[in-house]
Amino acid sequence: MKNIKIYLFFFLCAPLYAENHETTLIKNATVMTATELGILENTDLLIDDGLIAKIGQNLKHNGAIIVDASNHFITPGLIAPHSMIGIQEIELEAETRDDSSDYFSSGFSIIDAFNPSSALIPHNRTGGITSAIVTPSSGNHIFSGMASAFKLDGKLTEESIGQDVAMTMSFGGNEGSRASQMLLIKDSITKARNYHKSRSQIMRGGYFDFGNYTPRDLEAILRVINQEIPLIIRVDRARDMLRMIRFSNENGIEIIFASAKEAWRIADKIAIQSIPVILDPMDNIPSSFDSIAARMDNAAILNNAGVKLLITSQDTHNSYLSRQGAGNAVAYGLPEHEALKALTINVASVFGLSESIGSIEVGKDADLLIWDGHPLEVSSFTTKIYIDGKNINTITRSQRLRDRYLKRLGLN
Amino acid sequence: MKSILENKVCSALIFLSLVISSDLSYSKSESELINQAYQSTYKPEASPRILIKNANILTGAGELLESSSILIENNKIVSLGKDDTSATQIIDAKGKWITPGIIDIHSHMGVYPAPSLRGNSDGNEATSPVTPHVWAEHSVWTQDPQFTLALKGGVTTFHVLPGSANLFGGRGVTLKNTRSVTVQGMKFPNAPYTLKMACGENPKRVYGNRDSEPSTRMGNVAGYREAWIDAQSYMEELALHEARSMDEDSDEAEESFKRDLKMETLTGVLKGEILIQNHCYRGEEMAVMMDIAKEFNYKVTTFHHAIEAYKVADLLAENGVCAAMWADWWGFKNEAYDMVWENVAMVDQALNGTGCAIVHSDSAVGIQHLNQEAAKARSAGLRAGLDISKARAIKWITINPAKALGIADHVGSLEVGKMADLVIWDGDPFSTFTKAEKVFIDGHLSFDAIDDNSFIRTDFDLGIINPEDDRL
Repeated sequence: MKNIKIYLFFFLCAPLYAENHETTLIKNATVMTATELGILENTDLLIDDGLIAKIGQNLKHNGAIIVDASNHFITPGLIAPHSMIGIQEIELEAETRDDSSDYFSSGFSIIDAFNPSSALIPHNRTGGITSAIVTPSSGNHIFSGMASAFKLDGKLTEESIGQDVAMTMSFGGNEGSRASQMLLIKDSITKARNYHKSRSQIMRGGYFDFGNYTPRDLEAILRVINQEIPLIIRVDRARDMLRMIRFSNENGIEIIFASAKEAWRIADKIAIQSIPVILDPMDNIPSSFDSIAARMDNAAILNNAGVKLLITSQDTHNSYLSRQGAGNAVAYGLPEHEALKALTINVASVFGLSESIGSIEVGKDADLLIWDGHPLEVSSFTTKIYIDGKNINTITRSQRLRDRYLKRLGLN
Repeated sequence: MKSILENKVCSALIFLSLVISSDLSYSKSESELINQAYQSTYKPEASPRILIKNANILTGAGELLESSSILIENNKIVSLGKDDTSATQIIDAKGKWITPGIIDIHSHMGVYPAPSLRGNSDGNEATSPVTPHVWAEHSVWTQDPQFTLALKGGVTTFHVLPGSANLFGGRGVTLKNTRSVTVQGMKFPNAPYTLKMACGENPKRVYGNRDSEPSTRMGNVAGYREAWIDAQSYMEELALHEARSMDEDSDEAEESFKRDLKMETLTGVLKGEILIQNHCYRGEEMAVMMDIAKEFNYKVTTFHHAIEAYKVADLLAENGVCAAMWADWWGFKNEAYDMVWENVAMVDQALNGTGCAIVHSDSAVGIQHLNQEAAKARSAGLRAGLDISKARAIKWITINPAKALGIADHVGSLEVGKMADLVIWDGDPFSTFTKAEKVFIDGHLSFDAIDDNSFIRTDFDLGIINPEDDRL
């Protein structure tokens, strides 16, 4: 009897989990496009075949599911630019973590570690994150490895939407000298170049001194040198960033700064070089002698100088709190439109995903969020989430726990 | 990331025996000496008569007074809702909001200051699991630049705890967010001492990794109980010594009794003078800790980081124990896995709304935005059908932590006669876009967003980036 009940439960709930209609028409929304069109009031969106098919007013479509979004906001799905969603379940439990490698350095790719069943996925998705750039953590090597992009629809068969889209590296105050780190980086570039030159001989069995690198590591560095992928440099000190700018120019490497707490001090130089900056606007703590000049208006100052911003949350489990960070950046001077772009289209464009995601435009993937209030306001929340046009259930494990105990406490 | 984790992993406990009763232990002169030492020396100058009018006032006492006024003078709140023409200064706060000064019951500012360096990392005496003899106030660095950041976020009082490496981490200290070269100059006058205890993963990890006790949760519990048994014996011996000293015929009258700092703290708890602030994540552990309190006849004041408080919310309410919680932190360790966004609201609403919910930070970033943390917790509650007003939710960061720290007679709500600690916000404090515009401590304007010279910078902030500039 018990079993029957359980089956019945799944049967009844199945449509919630698998709502898979082809065509949806969302009516009367305030659409924040994350494009030059800005905000479109009282606008309809037609979703067809997983894509945004039409944007306009008084749209009609026979057979479409109609969703009234009056008094609601719509944004593109948010994209976490620098998180470990899917490769870290519990921070202090090593066996639940797949975010670093002792053996590989630059050649490490997290692609095979991504767990679409992680509890972090529905949690962050309900908070508004529909795609994530999943980055390795800083390990024991100069290079931490390569990041890949995933959609957060939680399908067990989910494939990456961008494999090995960027290399990652950390630079700055550590046990050893930063000058030593710089030499290691230069040496690794030289090693990769030499490897490239000798590759055909190596293939024929010729000797090559790999040192601490594997062939995979050197191949990955070559991709950076050849500008196939950008290099994310986690760095805070302004002087270090200047040094990295020179290094990137000397080697023709495309770089992105992450964390970048002192970036405001050299905002013009970062802007001239068109270096994107990934930052958490709320992290204004001078937590080390690398970040003494940290401040709340870092984002606003960088934006004024013309720097492209990508807003992140430092907390992987709550990657969706990037929108609280974006809201705080607005409170400290960042224009609202730029804050939204920093959560969406800027991330997509930096990682080569902007043809399909990051903004509300006809022909793009229908990765959309409907909000019950202003999306940068902490008290607002998603009411509906679409990924590839599918209405994704917003339930999380946390909500299941909540409902159980609301009942036990007699609060339901 | 590392420092964030270390912060999360902390918690504390304390003691307050400024008021050791002289008839029980030492001679009067001895106890007076002890009382004098370590006392607060904070004494604000008399503040002017200031009227702030036309503001929406969240009193912290459960009310929202729309477009109302507050009058402060001589460090105190003089009246609410009355106009006053004799004020030396009148601030028109039309469209703005006023709340009591924000109180954070869980901070490690000063003991884990910024920048995070080995030389100033003083929050965990992680050399033994039972260290009730250490006092956080003896670690506090008064020039921590994080104090100023918290002030800009409206925080006027905060409670600094030792970390959570130990079963008994030591005494916590309640500080006013004023600048002083001495810790005594920041100490909240006459605030009771607190004692930090820690459940769960942290003590067992720290000592288990060294192959010493405790390495399990049951090891933790044995450790607490043994310490309380020691404290009970100490109290008995002390009483016996007192009795002999009173007896002039006894040969033992002059016998000395050696003080034991650990036991002084623990007996302070047993005498009800020191408040237990207990780092504890899981529901079943909170229940066990309340049983231990019953076994040894003391009271747990607050469970901190109480991720699973919602699972035992009725039990907490029954026992009159507060829970201090984050709005949304989770997943950094196993005991933080079962977080629900509605935790704060559920604790608040338990047993017909008799629960005591507190939103805390444990973070130098979070402490700057406690209003936003409360906003998130409230809106999660609303979505779950728990109808909680802003007037009620503001208590989570004002009067409720004040009660749990034993200072509610002085701060935590805007009521006549209380300390004039208040914040003028440039809008609704339950919004991301709202900032603290003016912060008053004991009637003095301590921060003004439109005046860079309105606040006192810490020593650290001077000339640290460029010799001629201030850091902020």
